Amino acid sequence: MRATRPLALAAAGALTLTACGGGDSVDTGGGDGGGDNTLVAAVSAQPDQLDPHVTTAYASFQVLENVYDTLVVPDPEDLTMQPSLATEWETSEDDLEWRFTLRDDVTFHDGSEFDSADVVYSYNRIIDEELSNSFRFQNVESVEADGPDTVVIRLTQPTPNLLERIGSFKGMAILPENAAEDLDLTTEANGTGPFQLESSDASSTVLTAYEDYWDGAPSIDGVEFRYITEPAAALTALQNGEVQWTDNVPPQQIESLDGDDSVELETTASVDYWYMSMNYARPPFDNRDVRRAISFAIDREEVAEAAWFGAAEANQTAIPEDSFFYYDYAPFERDPEQARQLLAQAGVATPLTMGLMVTDEYPETVTAAQVIASQLAEVGITVEIETLDFATWLDRQGAGDYDAFYLGWLGNLDPAAFYQEQHQTDGPNNYQGYSNPQVDQLLLEGSTETDDEARKEIYDQAAQIIVDDVSYLYLYNPDVVQAWAPGLSGYQIRADKAINFENVELP
Amino acid sequence: MTGQPLPPPDAPVAGQGDAKGTSPGPTTLRPVRPRWRETLGLLARNPTAATATLVLIGIILMSVFDETLAPQGPNEIDVADRLQSPSWSHPFGTDDLGRDILSRVILGAGVSLRVGFLAVGIALVIGTLIGLLAGFYGRWVDDVLMRIMDMFFAFPAVLLAIAILAVRGPGSGNTALAIGIVYIPIFARVTRASVLGVREEVYVRASRSVGASDLRLLTRHVLPNAAPPIIVQTSISLAFAVLAEAALSFLGLGTQPPSPSWGLMLAEGRGFIDLAWWLAFFPGMAIFLTVLCFNLLGDGLRDVLDPKQRTLMAGGGR
Repeated sequence: MRATRPLALAAAGALTLTACGGGDSVDTGGGDGGGDNTLVAAVSAQPDQLDPHVTTAYASFQVLENVYDTLVVPDPEDLTMQPSLATEWETSEDDLEWRFTLRDDVTFHDGSEFDSADVVYSYNRIIDEELSNSFRFQNVESVEADGPDTVVIRLTQPTPNLLERIGSFKGMAILPENAAEDLDLTTEANGTGPFQLESSDASSTVLTAYEDYWDGAPSIDGVEFRYITEPAAALTALQNGEVQWTDNVPPQQIESLDGDDSVELETTASVDYWYMSMNYARPPFDNRDVRRAISFAIDREEVAEAAWFGAAEANQTAIPEDSFFYYDYAPFERDPEQARQLLAQAGVATPLTMGLMVTDEYPETVTAAQVIASQLAEVGITVEIETLDFATWLDRQGAGDYDAFYLGWLGNLDPAAFYQEQHQTDGPNNYQGYSNPQVDQLLLEGSTETDDEARKEIYDQAAQIIVDDVSYLYLYNPDVVQAWAPGLSGYQIRADKAINFENVELP
Repeated sequence: MTGQPLPPPDAPVAGQGDAKGTSPGPTTLRPVRPRWRETLGLLARNPTAATATLVLIGIILMSVFDETLAPQGPNEIDVADRLQSPSWSHPFGTDDLGRDILSRVILGAGVSLRVGFLAVGIALVIGTLIGLLAGFYGRWVDDVLMRIMDMFFAFPAVLLAIAILAVRGPGSGNTALAIGIVYIPIFARVTRASVLGVREEVYVRASRSVGASDLRLLTRHVLPNAAPPIIVQTSISLAFAVLAEAALSFLGLGTQPPSPSWGLMLAEGRGFIDLAWWLAFFPGMAIFLTVLCFNLLGDGLRDVLDPKQRTLMAGGGR
């Protein structure tokens, strides 16, 4: 690390120069403009806020991925956990104590030193304030510093997926001690990542390279995340050279872009899944037969094809095929006759009306809902599609004001992340109100089992019950689709959709 | 100073009845109603307005017999058959879910016109009533009502409609209501202006002098004679209402998918514009034609109903 310091300083000098002289070229948006070494990335939405411990929006994490660090990070290739702010760790004999050794050459963007007190502060903030990720610490008894370079996490029971829990995404970011008091974290940031937050407004978020980054300063001067909602417009901007990177590619264009020289397009299987969820508090959707009827009435292949033009794999469980924890279970072949029988058996009079809440923030929900509506119409269910803006959508989800909704979960790595919070009784994301003691028991066992094979077996059983009960009606796993300017190097497309520009070099 | 019920008594009585054709006989000073047959005849002699009327009748018939006319159901999805260019089996092509666009355009007529007529109906009834009262009674009634109308007017129309939809939730019924509310002040102003002219007419004063009630004055004399500008406004507002419905649906606030509203089809098609132009083109043309025809009809009606123009046209035609 030391050896790179002089180089980093030289680069810092260069940045000051370009930053002074190049202020205008950022505004004109001319991508290849003279000497401007800023990457412009077109993303579909504005971050709702920038507090990594509070936000749950993917748009926020696209930015935060480049600003903050975690103790461990997923390897871009296979998503196993690798050292980051922690260089190594060991567990006690009984698996109840984890000791993390921290890097000693890390500074925050404001220049202050990183040490164990920051880790303790960050984790305790999540636990004490019961922030959105506190469930990730549900087995954690205490987080303590043992000298400036060591953090000890004590557990109430063995937690095989602890590394995934603290490192899978930047929602577990390490903030400087007392950051919440010193800063307005919703709009300000002080991380240890490769880029520091420059500004964020209604049109874009701008990051500049952090020259003292512990892993060497990025080779570009900064990143501008520009919000372009319309996929077709984002693609045009990329083709014009206005932006150099986008993940907002219209699915219908994937095929035609494949051999196109004007952009470089890559796809990879993701770890996302999309599902429909029915509200147990609204009869007759509390009736298992009704939910199973609906599950039998849906042709998942057709929904996936309609929404993704071939870039999605139909799946009746959550975990995608490439994962070790994939469970090949598909009890619901489309069968309208059986669906009608089940509805009759449940004593439901058709036509039954079901509101289906979707959001234009994710256009595939609107497309998929129309296909679902036409499929359900065949068995006597009238689907009333409600297209809402995402804020209203979230409010109504939180308030339980819906018959059914359609959405996806993104970036899951561990089987617990796929099933636990969504299907455990009173789980933090169990909006539908599912409760099955057998599933609760299995999810509990799964979260403490340390042997991978045995764990898989437990989660297979849990998944089977969840699918049979139709707690979620799983539909498909889409691909990650991203495109960038030809010649852009050092960027790696990842299954967890984390977007990291640390090593990117512009053409 | 508004609200002087009567003009100076020495105002000339003669010269009132150029186009209104004071009827012979001593019994009444009431003018003959606008002559509908003559109006229609004049309209028919205006080729632009006549064509527009015919096209509109065609569109209305299409929306009435939509189920019979449409070759397919509007929501029959066939993903395997998606994005087909116009052909004999699908004259307007198919969209991204394999639905027949011709069928959707035909069924979209009903959606657009229903919202249009409903919205203008709301605005017409409430707006005319407000304008009538404000114009006829003047004084504080006028002040209160018209200041409220000014408040509505202060908001840009689409913005106000969006705000109403944000409160009431999306959907075509609420869209009609929102557009209707937005157009109320327009009708109120047009009616008031027209009533201000009519209420000083000699036949109104005469009727009042023989003891006619306000209600009778309003319904028998003021409203019928103040009507022509309102009729013109109705036709033009229909054009704008159809356009507003399309705009709100385009924004996702109006008609909800999968209903085949033209504006919604346009919104869905825009992402495919360089891949499949027909998705946005045909609903766009449908909006264009309908709005154009309502506007042309409005123009034609204005010419025909304007007394001065009317005399010119009638004279020139002979």
